[in-house]
Amino acid sequence: MKKVTWSLWGRKFDSPLMLASGTAGFGLELMKMGMLDGVAAVVSKATTLAPRDGNPPPRIVETGFGILNSVGLANPGVEYVVDEILPMAAGLPVPLLVNVAGEAREEFAAVVERLETSPVPMAYEVNVSCPNVAEGGKAFGASPEVVESVSRLVAGVSSRPFSVKLTPNEGDITESASAAEEGGAGAVTVSNTFLGMKLDWRTGRPALLRKVGGYSSPALLPLTVARVHLVSEAVNIPVLASGGVSGPEDVLELLAAGAAMVQVGTWLMRRPGAGSELMKGILDLISPGAE
Amino acid sequence: MSIDMPAVVLAREEVLPGIVRITMEAGDEFLEEAAPGRFIQVEAPGGIFPVLRRPFTLHRVEDGAFSILFRVKGRGTRKISEVSSGDTLRVLGPLGRGYRLAGGRWLLVGGGLGAAGFPFLAARIESGTALLGASSSDDLPDAGVADTRVATEDGSVGIRGLVTDLLPDVDWHEYSNVALCGPVAMMKAVIKAVPPGIRERIQVSTEARMGCGWGACECCSIPAAAGGYFKCCTAGPVVPAGDIDWSRWEETD
Ligand SMILES: Cc1cc2nc3c(=O)[nH]c(=O)nc-3n(C[C@H](O)[C@H](O)[C@H](O)COP(=O)(O)O)c2cc1C
Repeated sequence: MKKVTWSLWGRKFDSPLMLASGTAGFGLELMKMGMLDGVAAVVSKATTLAPRDGNPPPRIVETGFGILNSVGLANPGVEYVVDEILPMAAGLPVPLLVNVAGEAREEFAAVVERLETSPVPMAYEVNVSCPNVAEGGKAFGASPEVVESVSRLVAGVSSRPFSVKLTPNEGDITESASAAEEGGAGAVTVSNTFLGMKLDWRTGRPALLRKVGGYSSPALLPLTVARVHLVSEAVNIPVLASGGVSGPEDVLELLAAGAAMVQVGTWLMRRPGAGSELMKGILDLISPGAE
Repeated sequence: MSIDMPAVVLAREEVLPGIVRITMEAGDEFLEEAAPGRFIQVEAPGGIFPVLRRPFTLHRVEDGAFSILFRVKGRGTRKISEVSSGDTLRVLGPLGRGYRLAGGRWLLVGGGLGAAGFPFLAARIESGTALLGASSSDDLPDAGVADTRVATEDGSVGIRGLVTDLLPDVDWHEYSNVALCGPVAMMKAVIKAVPPGIRERIQVSTEARMGCGWGACECCSIPAAAGGYFKCCTAGPVVPAGDIDWSRWEETD
C-alpha cells in the first residue's frame, strides 16, 4: 500500500498532526512520557523577549462545554529558551516550531532574531492574537496593516519559514491572512482561543481574576472549519488548523476544508497520547484494513 | 515514566456522606512508580465533557490495587463517583513528586480531605502520629495511623475546635518530619505554630486547579517564595513549606 504523507514547506510528514502552542510545553515532558508517536511537529508555548510570570491563579476554569484559560503567556523569556530549553529540545524525535509573542511590533522580530542563533527550531509561529500593548491593547491581529507589518519585520530577520497565528476575536480573518501572506509569512494558523468569560450570576463574580480568558473546546470545530475554508480560499500559503479537534474525523474534516496540517490543543491536555491515538484512527479511516 | 491506561474498578464505596473511595486494579509498572504524595489524572467517563481530567492523590496502594478518596463536588467528581465494580476508568499516572521519605517519626497534619493521601504515606514510614481537623465526624477520613488525634468544629468526635488546637500538646522532640495537607489558611496557621528546627522539615502536599497534570500547560501555578510561580503538577504536588509564598497563595486561593 502507498504510504500516505502530508507536507509543509517542502518537508514530508507521515502525520498531519501538530501539537498546539501552550498545550505541549516544548514537547520535553511528552518525550519523557514516550507520547510523541503520531506527531508531525510540536509548537512550543509562547516565547517573549523578557521572562513573564504569567497571570495569578486560577489560570483555568471549566465551563459547560469547554475550558477558559488565563495563563498570561507565562514563559522564561527568549534568553533562557535559547540557552537552556532548545538544547534539550534538540533531542526531540520531531521538529519544533517556536511560538513567538510580543507587546510591540518590533518585539516579535527581536525574539526571532535571538531564536535564529539556535539550530533547533524548524520554524516559528507568530502569535498575533496577543494584545498590542504598545499601541492601545487591541490584538495585533485586529488590523491587517499591523499583521502585515509584523510579518514583514519577522521575515526581515528570519532564515526560517513562519506561520502567523491569527485571532478569531478581532478583525476580518481572511484580510488578516492575506496581510500575513503579503508580509512574507509562509503559512497562517487558523485560529486561536475565543474570548470568553464565566461568572456566577448570584454574586456577579467572574471565575477568572482577569475576568476574560481564552475559550477552547472540541465544540470549536465548526468555527474552525469555516475559518479554515474561508482563509484557504483567500491565500496561497498553507493553512494550519487550530481549534476543536477531539477525534480523527475532526482532523480529516479540517484537512478537507483546506488545512495543510492540523493542531491539537485542549484534547492533548486530556489525552497526552493524542498523537498516536488520532493517527491510528486517521489511518483506519483513510485506508481501512491496511496495516 | 507515567502511563495512560484503563483501570478496572474493584470497589466503589461511599465511606462517609458524599465522600467516595474507588479502588482500582494496578499493573506492575504503576505499582513501581507509585509513591506517597504522587497523584493520578482520571477522566470523567461517559462523553467528552468535562474535558479536563480530575487529579487525585494516591489514597492507598496495596495488594496490586490503588485507591482514591474524594468528595463529590461537581460534574467531574460526580461522573467518576458513579462507576461500579467491573467498570473501567481511564487513569494517567502516577504523576508529580511525592514526599521525601526521610527516616524518623512523622507528624501528619491534615484538614478535611487533605488527609486523603495519609494512609499511603503512613504505610511507607517508620511511625507517626496524625492530627486531623474536620468540620464534623461526617467528613473525617481515616489517616491509617494508630495514633490519631482529632479536632472537629462541632465536637462530634475528638476535641471541639480546629486542628491547630491539637498542636500545643505535641511533643516536638519526638518528630523529625511533618506532612501537611489541607486548606491554605489552615496550613498557614499550622506552620506558624510549629517551632523552628522542625518547621524547616514541613512537606506540604499542594493542590491547584489543574490542566494537563504533566507539566505542559502552566495552569496549576502556585506562588513561589523565590518569586513567580511553580507548577503544582511537576515541581510538586509535595514541596517544602518554605518553597511557597504563603501570603500570595492565600490571596489567590
Ligand atoms: C492552556 C492553553 C494555553 C495556550 N497558550 C497559547 C500560547 O501560548 N500561544 C498561542 O498561540 N496559543 C495558545 N493557546 C491556544 C492553542 O494553541 C489553540 O490554538 C487553541 O486552544 C484552540 O485549539 P484547541 O481547541 O485544539 O485547544 C493556548 C491554549 C490553551 C488551552
